[in-house]
Amino acid sequence: MWLNLRTLDFWQATVLLLSILIFCPLVSLILMSFGDSEGLWEHLLDTVLIKYVKNTLFLMIGVSFFSLLFGVLSAWILTNYKFRFSKILEVLMLLPLACPAYLVAYAYTDFFEYAGPVQGLIRDLMGWEIASDYIFPEIRSLGGAIFVLSSVLYPYIYLLSRTAFRETPNSYYEVAQLYNKNIFWIVSLPLARPAIVAGLALVCMEVVSDFGTVEYFALETLTLGIFNVWIGMNNINAAAQISTFTFIFILMLLLVEIRSRAGKRFNDTSSRQTYKKAKDITGIEASFCIVGCLIPVSLGFFIPIMILLSNAFSSLNFHNYYEVAKIFTNTLLVSLFGALCIMVVSIVIACTAYFSGKRYLRIIANFSASGYAFPGTMLAIGILVFIGLVDKALGLLGGTNSNFYLNGTIFMLIFAYIVKFQAVGYGAILSGLTKTSPNLIWASRSLGMSFQKTISRITIPLIKKSIVAGGVLAFVDIMKELPITLLLRPFNFETLATFTYQFAHDELMGKASVPALLIIFVGLIPVLFLNRVLRSNI
Amino acid sequence: MNILKVFAMIFALILSSANLVKCEELNIYSHRQPFLINPFLEEFTKKTGITTNVIYSTKGLAQRLRSEGKNSPADVVLTVDIGRLYIYQDMDLLSVISSKKLSENIPEHLKSLDNTWFGLSKRARIIVTSKDRVEVGAISRIEDLADPRWKGKICTRPGSHVYSRALMSSMIAAHGLEEAEKWATGLVSNLARRPQGNDRAQVKAIYEGQCDIAIINNYYFGKLKYSDKEDQRTWARSLNLVFPNQGETDRGAHVNISGGGVAKYSKNKDSAIKLLEFLTDEFAQNLYGEINFEYPVNPKVEATSELQSWGSFKEDKLPILTIAKLSREAQKIIDRVGW
Repeated sequence: MWLNLRTLDFWQATVLLLSILIFCPLVSLILMSFGDSEGLWEHLLDTVLIKYVKNTLFLMIGVSFFSLLFGVLSAWILTNYKFRFSKILEVLMLLPLACPAYLVAYAYTDFFEYAGPVQGLIRDLMGWEIASDYIFPEIRSLGGAIFVLSSVLYPYIYLLSRTAFRETPNSYYEVAQLYNKNIFWIVSLPLARPAIVAGLALVCMEVVSDFGTVEYFALETLTLGIFNVWIGMNNINAAAQISTFTFIFILMLLLVEIRSRAGKRFNDTSSRQTYKKAKDITGIEASFCIVGCLIPVSLGFFIPIMILLSNAFSSLNFHNYYEVAKIFTNTLLVSLFGALCIMVVSIVIACTAYFSGKRYLRIIANFSASGYAFPGTMLAIGILVFIGLVDKALGLLGGTNSNFYLNGTIFMLIFAYIVKFQAVGYGAILSGLTKTSPNLIWASRSLGMSFQKTISRITIPLIKKSIVAGGVLAFVDIMKELPITLLLRPFNFETLATFTYQFAHDELMGKASVPALLIIFVGLIPVLFLNRVLRSNI
Repeated sequence: MNILKVFAMIFALILSSANLVKCEELNIYSHRQPFLINPFLEEFTKKTGITTNVIYSTKGLAQRLRSEGKNSPADVVLTVDIGRLYIYQDMDLLSVISSKKLSENIPEHLKSLDNTWFGLSKRARIIVTSKDRVEVGAISRIEDLADPRWKGKICTRPGSHVYSRALMSSMIAAHGLEEAEKWATGLVSNLARRPQGNDRAQVKAIYEGQCDIAIINNYYFGKLKYSDKEDQRTWARSLNLVFPNQGETDRGAHVNISGGGVAKYSKNKDSAIKLLEFLTDEFAQNLYGEINFEYPVNPKVEATSELQSWGSFKEDKLPILTIAKLSREAQKIIDRVGW
């Protein structure tokens, strides 16, 4: 039988339950989308839907293209060549990870707008006086959104593809060189495909669920449409329908990719593990490489940081710094705890499902990692509905005077983070697993080791880097996370992101800059740590 | 196991840093930013000894309240914009309260008929024009914005924003669906650029010469005039203010409210009512003007002298609930005309 529960061992049963639990909030959103949309679709189809879909598609294609270009190119350069500053660049490339996209959008708008320094300089230089004297691309546009989102999202691809490039066995390159083939197109790229796609999937999901940037640029994407229908037309069912529709679309894309690589293997089974040495280069070649790497990192980190710094200094800011320090610690603790939870859950789910040999278990596990594709606020609504039901059930169990409930507690928030960011941890671990040889596992199992021991003694040490990478991404993601934290937090609970938002929401950039810079600097710590781990030979 | 210890430690730290909520305190769900409501709450605590806890979010608090049901710790809901208030009423999340003080302090058209929600402050949607490029008196009504004479001269924020949508509703209420849509079409064809940014950005665009006319909420003018940034003060100086539809027989300028209500399952209804009453009393009503350049709802309280210096105006006395009820039709028109 396809689904015979009696064949499940303890771990598999745990994974089944965990995955279902994580998937439940999504189910409640999907169920909500079966509610009455009061004939709004007809109106939407007649008016704005095509515009929403078109903008979303173009945004996704544009951001995918540029973040692939930035991410893969810099990863390739930095794994294969050694030049002056290459070690520093390796670290620098990761920095945009710490920058929330919507804050970068705010910063760039000020910078590139008519009254901003760039256009001001151009006018001064050229002697132009008013807007109609010249043409300057508008930052609040599709192009602007592509520019901002790819500048901050490319590190997902860079990170995962660099690890993959680095772990490609040298023997493959030697074979390719013997046959005089291009090693990038013939060896590196195909072998790194699962990693690159994992990164790209994260990028696409970020793009589809982004609200802050598109709202600020007034770019009418599906996510903006969700909110127009929900808040403007007071119909959350239709909003849930649009988000389910978007979700299914993303899922289809992923399925196409997984199908097309089915039957291919990306791991090395030989025991001889030598890796390609980076080639020393100097002069013009090296300068090209430096510039190639500096462009994305300047766009995604240095320029926005400088704008924020100048904002912070240009106006007087009165913050209660004792309060800010408290918020800072709180953010750190919550992100750390959330990331740990996500990684433990991801390891259990990914390893068990991967080695179980049960197809349905893998499918369910994949589903549990799909929360990333929903806009944060919609996901938060799904969680509210689900937890509301759980609380009702708990109330029934505990009798009428039961005082225990999950709604509005820190548990709910952590659970929400797992639902949203499970994809980050799960994806990283899965791409690590595809690179390890299953023979090692079977050997260990046939020598009498238990599954649990095999995983903790063999698999985990082998994929340590992927675990750290996933954990750091999850940490930084939670720290930057805004809509879920905003809606689900307990009373008097602030993170740096929510604290920044109250000012940024009102376009008070001077006041928002200090906490925004703090978010970025806290994010830098794990990012730098990540780089050390990736470089070391563990 | 080591990892378990780490978990437990971090979790204990999180719990200890989160303030535990006690029952006798007043719990508030707020759509207003903490830095705007804290001065009110501090004064309230000073006066009554009741301490407050706040959750601020721009969206979804009504859904949260509903899913919490009877367990909800929330006592008071504070929002900006009538549309959001109405959602709470529509979902049946508010208590019916009887308070003589609230009935006296708030005029009929700014509260619900069933005594569930109450307007606490008013903001007028006004027109601002460039001092240099638009003659005083050239525009006097919102309807004028559809006049082809202003082709390529007008800037607004997107139609789907709550403030634009509320204005659209008020046009439907005044002229009916068909005429309102005609007006919106005219407005959109007069726009100087794709609708974008908040009201601050519209003023900036006038200063920069991208457009000559914009629609903003009155308090943005005050915020710019007294901004801690010199350039924003300059933007404000380049403007004339127009309170629209002031003619003898005209309906008056469209106003929106910030408001509040008591949560249906509040465990501290008395304190919750006390807070709402406090917010409609003279002290708080003045504070709305001082902190955020909003107009008092309480007819016994005068607008601050700063607000008075911008000119007095007649407001549209349309029951504010009508604005919320027309919201969907307004959004449909906005979608159709592409505002």
